[in-house]
Amino acid sequence: MSEVFTKSMARNIYYGGSVFFILLFLALTFDTSSEVPKRDNHEAITEQVALGKKVWEENDCIGCHTLLGEGAYFAPELGNVYKRFGNSTDAIVGFIKSRPVEGIPGRRSMPQFNLSDEELQAVAEFLKYTSEIDTSNWPPNIQG
Amino acid sequence: MKYQSQAVAKPYFIAAIGLFVGQILFGLVMGLQYVMGDFLFPEIPFNVARMVHTNLLIVWLLFGFMGAAYFLVPEETEHELHSPLLAKVLFWVFLVAGALTVLGYLLVPYARLAELTMNDLLPTMGREFLEQPTITKIGIVVVALGFLYNIGVTILAGRKTVVSMVLLTGLVGLAVMFLFSFYNPINVVDDKFYWWWVVHLWVEGVWELILASILAFVLIKVTGVDREVIEKWMYVIIAMALISGIIGTGHHYYWIGAPEYWQWWGSIFSALEPIPFFMMTVFAFNMVNRRRREHPNKAAVLWALGTAVMAFLGAGVWGFLHTLAPVNYYTHGSQITAAHGHMAFYGAYVMIVLTIISYAMPILRGQEAADPRAQVLEMWSFWLMTVSMVFITLFLTGAGVLQVWLQRFTDNPQPFMVVQEKIEVFYWLREAAGLVFLLGLILYVAAFFVKGGERVMASNAVADTA
Amino acid sequence: MEQIASHPAAGQKKALPGDFAIWIFIYAELLVFGIFFLAYAYTRAQHVELFNTYQQHLNRESGAINTLVLITSSYFVVMAVAAIRRGAAGHCTRWLILAVLSGSVFVWIKLAEFAAKHAEGITLSTNTFYMFYLSLTFFHFMHVLMGMVILSVVALKAYRGAYNAQEHTGVETGASYWHMVDLVWIILFPLVYVLH
Repeated sequence: MSEVFTKSMARNIYYGGSVFFILLFLALTFDTSSEVPKRDNHEAITEQVALGKKVWEENDCIGCHTLLGEGAYFAPELGNVYKRFGNSTDAIVGFIKSRPVEGIPGRRSMPQFNLSDEELQAVAEFLKYTSEIDTSNWPPNIQG
Repeated sequence: MKYQSQAVAKPYFIAAIGLFVGQILFGLVMGLQYVMGDFLFPEIPFNVARMVHTNLLIVWLLFGFMGAAYFLVPEETEHELHSPLLAKVLFWVFLVAGALTVLGYLLVPYARLAELTMNDLLPTMGREFLEQPTITKIGIVVVALGFLYNIGVTILAGRKTVVSMVLLTGLVGLAVMFLFSFYNPINVVDDKFYWWWVVHLWVEGVWELILASILAFVLIKVTGVDREVIEKWMYVIIAMALISGIIGTGHHYYWIGAPEYWQWWGSIFSALEPIPFFMMTVFAFNMVNRRRREHPNKAAVLWALGTAVMAFLGAGVWGFLHTLAPVNYYTHGSQITAAHGHMAFYGAYVMIVLTIISYAMPILRGQEAADPRAQVLEMWSFWLMTVSMVFITLFLTGAGVLQVWLQRFTDNPQPFMVVQEKIEVFYWLREAAGLVFLLGLILYVAAFFVKGGERVMASNAVADTA
Repeated sequence: MEQIASHPAAGQKKALPGDFAIWIFIYAELLVFGIFFLAYAYTRAQHVELFNTYQQHLNRESGAINTLVLITSSYFVVMAVAAIRRGAAGHCTRWLILAVLSGSVFVWIKLAEFAAKHAEGITLSTNTFYMFYLSLTFFHFMHVLMGMVILSVVALKAYRGAYNAQEHTGVETGASYWHMVDLVWIILFPLVYVLH
């Protein structure tokens, strides 16, 4: 019994298979791009939300928190924090503002970022916007 | 060393190991911060330590990949490297840029770093793993282009083997996918969707090509098995990796606002992702069993086999554990994710770089293999690091299972921080395992400084003493 | 049996026709479709009403015609393999061209079906049934295209005289892949279009 197993056929499968699945992935991506606007809450994106995202990024919030489950697992999920804080941007602003500069002895603590009122409002609005994205009902409950 | 220009790989490997040490030290800092929340606060907050930890990992793996390419491409193509000078210049550019970036993370607040590097012009900072200032990202692209040019021209001029061609496609893919790091829309769904084109299509796509080609190269060298056999199996394995991995990207699209069909597509294809890793394990052991020579570098063989096994466990098994959408609904973004991330990165990418270093470094230092005593030490470091990584993974998995249960699955879900305190014991155990890992790493570095008695070049001599 | 005995390579009885590499690919593909079909069956059991309702909206005639078209094309491929085993490269080429042409008939009918659904505004996100219907048929559709590319290459090589009675692994490889594509459709059609 001699089975034929050639390198050239293995190569064809590698290249052919890759191209095939890249095309399939692009097709699904294409469909996704037309479907996402129905779920992504883009109506809520304002200049303030854009500033909020910038504040979010330039303070590396993702380095401790998760947003829609992605990021670091050191601090609570923030994709739904607006809802967890009783649908209140003020509560978010109050929390960020009141972080002690020297931290809390023995415990994890969020740094004091010294954000301006404009920045605080913006990041809260940004988190409100993310909480209204259709995430297929994730997280499973309000605790994130 | 068959070709003079292979020597440029040496500084790359040394830098990789140096940054690896830094990565582990910061990992230990973070591990301690998990249980002693105020450790080094506010000087080095957790997010800064994490940036340093993950960015150093990426940078040292890139150093390792580049070193691997500079070492194996001349040998595969039977042609001197196009420009050793360019390789040396790029080494310093990359090292200085990397060092400055890490110093920036540590010395100034991140927001200030964003300001200093003019993030406003093209905001790309502040996304997980892509925290580098935009200017650093541009630097990475420039270094990558120079590197690809150097390697590409060398390959075109010489013998085109499967190993070098697959390596080249992997490296080109790495550079191309990185370009998506410059796309940062305000829309969070779009941002996340394409962010994965860098992250997922790196680690479960093009990096696997780099992994496979380095592994194939080392196996060809240490087993003496016919190149044809190794190359055709490599093709089949990477074909399977891409077939499952490309659509497998869908397992990141379940809960970020993308359409729900990704739950099906992602689950079905990522269920297949363990297959190529399993094939790789069977393949590596098969080749070593069918070896036609006893290579004196036992440590390199151990690393190669270890890579195959640990990549399967970390990427294959631990990935599969939480990849199906109904499971992932509960485990997404928990310590389970961290457990998988640690073992997969160590098993697949850390170990493959250590494999090529283990094989190449003695040759770069003028020996076929390191002194047997140095090899024994290196093998100790292999077992210490690998076993402690298994324990880190198990402890994080324990932490994750409890976390998911208490925070997400019970009738009375508890707040994040309350749960974190309840699972503290696992974090202590993880930190202890981390210290053992550091011990292994110290031995690993020490193994390079073991003075050999007489230089052993003949295979038999080592086979007798080992 | 006589045929095998008279076969020049009778001494080397092969386990699988064609190149072993394609079989790894075929197994992988069958595994994907298999899991997809199981997922379909499972989900259908959860939503019988929904599936029964929307199944009525599928064009069963075009599905049935396409089944016949694919079975016919598989027959052409069988004839092509038989031809090359006799060493008749010219016949082999012609049978393969016929198979590719039948494949393109399938593609046209399928495209018309997709266009009709598209015109109704049906997408992957319309409901779970259409998600499965479109995913499975489109994924299979891409396989038909892939199979046509493979058969065309094989036909071209046969035309150029790359195969003979002794050496024709390439033809068997292409044929194996095409039969897989056909087989998947033979399961897909009743499962998605017909079974209530």
